[in-house]
Amino acid sequence: MSYRIPIGPYHLALEEPYKIEVECEGETVVGASLKVGFNFRGIEWLAQHKNITKTIALVERVCGICSNVHSMTFCMALERIGEIEVPEKAKYVRVAIAELERLHSHLLWAGVAAELVGFQTLFMHVFRLREIVMDALEAISGNRVNYSMNRIGGVNRAIERPDRVLEAVAEIRRVVTESVIPVFTTDRTVAARCTGVGILRRADAIALGAVGPVARASGVDVDLRRDHPYLAYGDLDFKVPVQAGGDVLARVVVRALEMLESCRMIEQAIERMPAGPLHAGDIYAVPPGEAIVRAEAPRGEVFYYVESDGSDTVARLKIRTPTFLNIPTVQAMVKGNAFADVPLIQASVDPCYSCTDR
Amino acid sequence: MDAGTLRRKIGGKWSGRGGSWWLLVTIGQVRGVARQMLNGEARFAAVVAAPADAGALRVMWHWDVRGTLLSLESILPPGSFMPTIADIYPGADWAERETRDYFAVTFEGRESTPPLMLRASDAPGILLASKRARA
Repeated sequence: MSYRIPIGPYHLALEEPYKIEVECEGETVVGASLKVGFNFRGIEWLAQHKNITKTIALVERVCGICSNVHSMTFCMALERIGEIEVPEKAKYVRVAIAELERLHSHLLWAGVAAELVGFQTLFMHVFRLREIVMDALEAISGNRVNYSMNRIGGVNRAIERPDRVLEAVAEIRRVVTESVIPVFTTDRTVAARCTGVGILRRADAIALGAVGPVARASGVDVDLRRDHPYLAYGDLDFKVPVQAGGDVLARVVVRALEMLESCRMIEQAIERMPAGPLHAGDIYAVPPGEAIVRAEAPRGEVFYYVESDGSDTVARLKIRTPTFLNIPTVQAMVKGNAFADVPLIQASVDPCYSCTDR
Repeated sequence: MDAGTLRRKIGGKWSGRGGSWWLLVTIGQVRGVARQMLNGEARFAAVVAAPADAGALRVMWHWDVRGTLLSLESILPPGSFMPTIADIYPGADWAERETRDYFAVTFEGRESTPPLMLRASDAPGILLASKRARA
């Protein structure tokens, strides 16, 4: 006999609201449906009623974790429309902040995953590391969440103490290499919870449009930083971790290896950072035109479509966040799995409902 | 298949602008091109709608092929329907529902189009209202 179990929209251990309705036969999941929109703020509507300067601050609030990538991508779209030349130094600063943000996001996710697996010690261990990244971002920008680094044509401030950022990165690499990766890949509890669980097949990943670590863990070898280099990524050496398994473990491994690559990129960005100006001057509007700019956010590709009519307010702004495409993949992942694994499987996508709902 | 090969296979007059390769198609061509995109392993990226002249709507579909963006554009006259591609690309399901929320577009061929962000009792087309208010 099949039965349906509604979960949410409010959850005991998750601040963000969403609803998943799971259909089971016995303890096996045979289907699931998702409902979002509980956190809808109408950001695209708001953007069409505020000037561009205010909209930079607005889009930085699309997400409380990957806030920087939104203001950065929005500014990059305006720079493309206005054919504005961004100084080289600003490109390197943007890369360093973007990769610090990826470290923050992946560490936060690793902590949440450790807790869901039932490994509290690992959760504490990972969250101590996350504090190091947040301290580094605070030292650079004065803020731990919304960094306000981006402006049209560059960045608002430099990295004043690169030595401290390099120290933080070295410590993160050491701990991730010596304990986080070994525990996540060899511990029996983690293996039992993650191996062969929540498989997303490669063909499903493509048809559903999965992005970022979710796609790469299903063998879809995509990463905009390599495939369509922007900012200074074309000048950096890094690898794109890909796994073929498509299960929760594969998504764990991809993110863990990506943290090490982000450490490499931050070091290179800081060591190779050129001298020069931080921005192209005060810019409050761009000429009429349209542009699409995509960036590799921690959770995958973020997509911005911007249309300008030449005024100081955008005529149309479309924001498609990574989770918007990744969350529906949960419906494919949970089929055939035990009901008890549903929380871990949905968490393995690293969902952000604030991003999704906008 | 790379983006250039896929473009040639689809045919038509593609033009590069604003960060993508664009192809203007009729409403009747949309599903056929979507199928060709899937056969070419193009990854669905987004549906974007924007108001056009005389009450029409520009509807744009975007796919990624190894870092290159391919975009279809079609003009939807007032009172017309757009065919769904959600049966071809399940990833387009939410995008179509959201487009209905924002611009009251009806996607033909779907069993239903429940709101994604709005409540069931809300009237769709919140960005159309926005455009009128600004004008």
